[in-house]
Amino acid sequence: MKRFLSTVLLSLIAIAPYAYSGTASIVKKHPVEVTGMPNCAECHTDKWQSFNHKAANFYDKHRFYAQDQRLACAACHKDSFCSDCHAHKEEIKPSDKFAGSPQRNLPHRGDFLSQHMIDGQVNPASCAKCHGRQNNEGCKTCHR
Amino acid sequence: MENHDTRRSRLDFGMWFGVMVLFIFCAADMAVAQDTSLLSGESSTIFRTMQSTNNDTLAPAYEYLHFSAPNLDRNGRFSLDVGGWGRTDLGYRSTKDYHDGDLQYGYVSYRGPSNNLAADLGRQFVTEGVASEKLDGLYLRSDFKAGFGAAAFVGAPVVTEPNSGGGSLIYGGRLTNSMSKYYTIGISALKVNCDGVNSREEEGVDIWFHPLTQIDIVGRSSYNSITGGWMEHDYQLTYSPRNNLSINANTSDIKYRAYFFNMTTDVFSLYSATNRTGLLDPNERAQATGASVVYSPKKKLVLTADYKNHHHAIAGDANYFGGKATVLLPEGFMTGLSIHRMDGSTDKLRYSEYRVFTSKKIKRFDFTGDYIETSYDNQINGVNNSHTLVGAVSYQIKSGLKFSADIDYYRNPYYDNNVAGLFKITYAFDARRGTEGSAK
Repeated sequence: MKRFLSTVLLSLIAIAPYAYSGTASIVKKHPVEVTGMPNCAECHTDKWQSFNHKAANFYDKHRFYAQDQRLACAACHKDSFCSDCHAHKEEIKPSDKFAGSPQRNLPHRGDFLSQHMIDGQVNPASCAKCHGRQNNEGCKTCHR
Repeated sequence: MENHDTRRSRLDFGMWFGVMVLFIFCAADMAVAQDTSLLSGESSTIFRTMQSTNNDTLAPAYEYLHFSAPNLDRNGRFSLDVGGWGRTDLGYRSTKDYHDGDLQYGYVSYRGPSNNLAADLGRQFVTEGVASEKLDGLYLRSDFKAGFGAAAFVGAPVVTEPNSGGGSLIYGGRLTNSMSKYYTIGISALKVNCDGVNSREEEGVDIWFHPLTQIDIVGRSSYNSITGGWMEHDYQLTYSPRNNLSINANTSDIKYRAYFFNMTTDVFSLYSATNRTGLLDPNERAQATGASVVYSPKKKLVLTADYKNHHHAIAGDANYFGGKATVLLPEGFMTGLSIHRMDGSTDKLRYSEYRVFTSKKIKRFDFTGDYIETSYDNQINGVNNSHTLVGAVSYQIKSGLKFSADIDYYRNPYYDNNVAGLFKITYAFDARRGTEGSAK
């Protein structure tokens, strides 16, 4: 599989100058100012209508969209927005930084010290996604 | 005594910071010359106060800085984004160092006018299929004919801990085929090299189907080539028959041997004959299946019901279910309530969660209250409940300048009547200079 991927990648890079799609790029900045959490379906009738930020499961699904359509996210969000949570080194948990936004889905709300021992048993992979290889100095305070 | 990696980390940080400051000044100079938007940015100065586990009063002060120069050239194709933070302790030492900081991201970017051509150079967060990585390096992507697209990246992984074994080289890519109205399917791979040995080799398939307006399916499967097993399958389906009704289903399957292979944080290490301090059983497998329904009978009212079953091959099962209601009322008033129950096969996995939150906007003030309680069926450290109460207020001094403060009270099995406070001043600016006016 690795050889296959490498071969396909190299081939595509080699033919790139002759095989551009010719389509217009996603705009760097969304042409209409968007405030708050938008429901993109209010304006979009194409695939972007899936990006309903108000949907209860958008928080769970946003990683799939980001892994597929990062440029679309970047039309509204700067890196500082992502790094509020996705930091490789961070000392303030997001729910403390934004205590004034109770409606936002921010990780580690409430009594996280007790709760992480329970959640960590149920689904340690949910912790490892952010803390498995980085942002783990806090973990090392106790888990040596 | 600091070790080589610690010194290297500080040198790297200093070098990056210096380079980025230089870029900012260059960006400012070029943008002024080109009569375009110059620089936008945000500064957040944060003071915290809390108690340590030794009952020492901690008072760390933080400065978060983010800068963006979106138009480094006349056509706005090149841009620069830099962000980081620094901390100093005004009281007792809050971590192992009195001072610390981090460059979160800092990269120069090129965006082509067609083909979604992108090239980023510097410290960045790459998200492409199996890759969700911070790296110091290069990222390239472009669309091709017949709906194909490709992305590739190479660089050094950004590691936090010295001697963490996070690797010295990371590279990978993703190929996609897309029919914009209906689907995108991708295959991706990444490899990490650590001291001449491949510490990670992962491949994956990801999908995004939206064949009808009402249906949206996303998901990914990832494979570990070193252990020779699937790491994770994770898929989510959303069906929205009406504008105010959404039905969601999700399923995931994680095999520990492949998923947690070579995690560098000790708590996620796998038990083996050569690692007897490992905490996770490599034969464990966690499967989760769930569903949720979101219904909005009125525009200002959102009701949610959700359920998830966790099945473990070794540790047992647990069911998590509950509901949430959020109400938006006139004059900037919002309130919500949620109740959830965890019903598992072990004592720790039986508890109920309650949360009430509210916020109200009055002129330039925003007031927020948030109460969370967890009630354990079986005591933890002799305690039945944990409580967290958060009160927050913010004041918009003027456009771009805001002061906020919050106070947290919490009581739980590990802290008895603890109080923490946070004060924040946020200043956002968007400097634009022209050939006339302030530039003169």
